[in-house]
Amino acid sequence: MGHKLLDKLLEENIIDNKEKYYRLAFSYVKNADDALDILQESIYKAFTGIGKIQNPEYIKTWFYRIVVNTSIDFLRKNKKAVAVDSDILESHIKAEEDLYEDIDLHRAIETLKPDYKSIIILRYFEDLKIEEVAEILGENVNTIKTRLYRALKLLRVQMEENI
Amino acid sequence: MSKSDMERLKEEYMNIEIPKELDFMVKKAIKDGLKKNYKKNRYKWMAGAAASAVIFTASLNASPAFANALSGVPVVGNIVKVLTFREYKLQEDTYNADIKVPAIEGLEDEKLQSSLNEKYLEENKKLYEDFTAEIEELKKNGGGHMGVDSGYQIKTDNERILAIGRYVVNTVGSSSTVFKYDTIDKKNQILITLPSLFKDESYVDIISENIKIQMREQMKEDEGKTYWVSDAGMENPIEPFERISNEQSFYINDDSKLVISFDKYEVAPGYMGVIEFVIPTEAIKDILAGDEYIK
Repeated sequence: MGHKLLDKLLEENIIDNKEKYYRLAFSYVKNADDALDILQESIYKAFTGIGKIQNPEYIKTWFYRIVVNTSIDFLRKNKKAVAVDSDILESHIKAEEDLYEDIDLHRAIETLKPDYKSIIILRYFEDLKIEEVAEILGENVNTIKTRLYRALKLLRVQMEENI
Repeated sequence: MSKSDMERLKEEYMNIEIPKELDFMVKKAIKDGLKKNYKKNRYKWMAGAAASAVIFTASLNASPAFANALSGVPVVGNIVKVLTFREYKLQEDTYNADIKVPAIEGLEDEKLQSSLNEKYLEENKKLYEDFTAEIEELKKNGGGHMGVDSGYQIKTDNERILAIGRYVVNTVGSSSTVFKYDTIDKKNQILITLPSLFKDESYVDIISENIKIQMREQMKEDEGKTYWVSDAGMENPIEPFERISNEQSFYINDDSKLVISFDKYEVAPGYMGVIEFVIPTEAIKDILAGDEYIK
C-alpha cells in the first residue's frame, strides 16, 4: 500500500476523530494545554510511523494506541499526578457525598493504574470492542478481559452486561 | 453502583470541553506531519494571544510563508519568564527568514509586560514585512540572496534582574547584526534605562573613556583585535569611536556589572561581530544613582 494513500487515510481518520482523541489525552493529563501537546505529538509520531501499517483497517486502533502511549509517557516524564491533601479530600467527600454520588466513582477511576484506566475509558467511554482495546493496548484479548474484570471489581462495579 | 453509574461517568467524559484551538492544531500538525521533515516544536496553543497577533498569523498563513507559534525555551525564575511567543519562517530558494518573537510572562506589572510584548511583536512584524517587501523588490530586479534571522538571548536572569537581548541579523551578501536589550528590575517591576542608573549626564563621557582604554588594551594584548579608536597604533581610523550615545545598548549582567554593547560595524570591523564591554564598577561608582543594580 502506497504511503500517499496511507497518509490520506490517516489524515481523514484524525480529522474525523479528533475530539475522541483529544478527550482520551485529556482524561490522562487533565488539562487542555497538555492534552493538545500530546495530540500534536501523536500526530507527528503517526505520520512518521505510518509506513509500518500493513492493513489500513488498523489505523484507528493504531492511532488510539499512540495517544495512550504518548499520554502515559507524558505522565511518567512530568509526574503530574494530582495530589490532594487527604484532609481536604475527606472533608470534601463528607460534605458532598450525598449530592454528587458519581464524584466518588469518578475519583475511583482516577486512582486506577493507567493500564486499568485505559481499559475502562476505551471500552465504556469510547465504546470499543474488547478486541480493539486489546489491539490498542498491545495485549491479548484474555489479558484485557482479566484486567477489565479486575478494574471493575476495584471500582466495585457490578455491571449487568457481559464482558 | 450500577450500569447507570457507568453511563453517568461516560456522560461526564463526553462533556470534556473541546478547546477551540483543537481544530487549528490538528490541521497544522497534519500539515507538518505530511511533510515528514518537521522540526519538533512545542506549540503554546492556549497562549490566549492578543487580537493583533492573531491577525498577524492569519496574514502570514495566507502568504507562502508559514507561521509558527511555539513555546518552550523556558528560562528562569519561577515567576517571570521569557518564552518564544511566535516564530515566523520563510524558506524560498534564496530567501530565508527566521524570526522568533519573545514574550515575557509573569510580571505583576501587566502594563509594563504588555507594552514590552507589544513592542516585540510590532518590531518583528515590521521586520518581516520589510523583509518580504525587499524580496519583492529583489525579485523584480532579477533576484539575489537575502536572509533575516531574529531571535533573543537571555543575558541575565537572577532574583533581581531580567535582561533580554534581541538580535536581528540581516544577510545581503555580508551580514549585519543589531542587538537591543531590555533590562527589567523584577523586584520593582520597572524597565531600567541607561540614564536612570546615573546621577547626571556625565556617564556618557566617563563610560566612553573607559571603553576607549579597554579597546586600546585589548588591541595591545591581542593583535587579532581591531577597534576603530584613536591612539591605538592604527593609522587614522576614518571614524574613530568618540562616545557612546545617551541610549547606548546596555544590560546588567549576572555579576551586577554594567555591560555596554555595540552592534556589528559600530565601533569595529565586521569580523569583530557584536561587541560588549563590561564597565568596571570602580570607574562609575561616583556617578551611580544608587547601588541597587550595579555593584
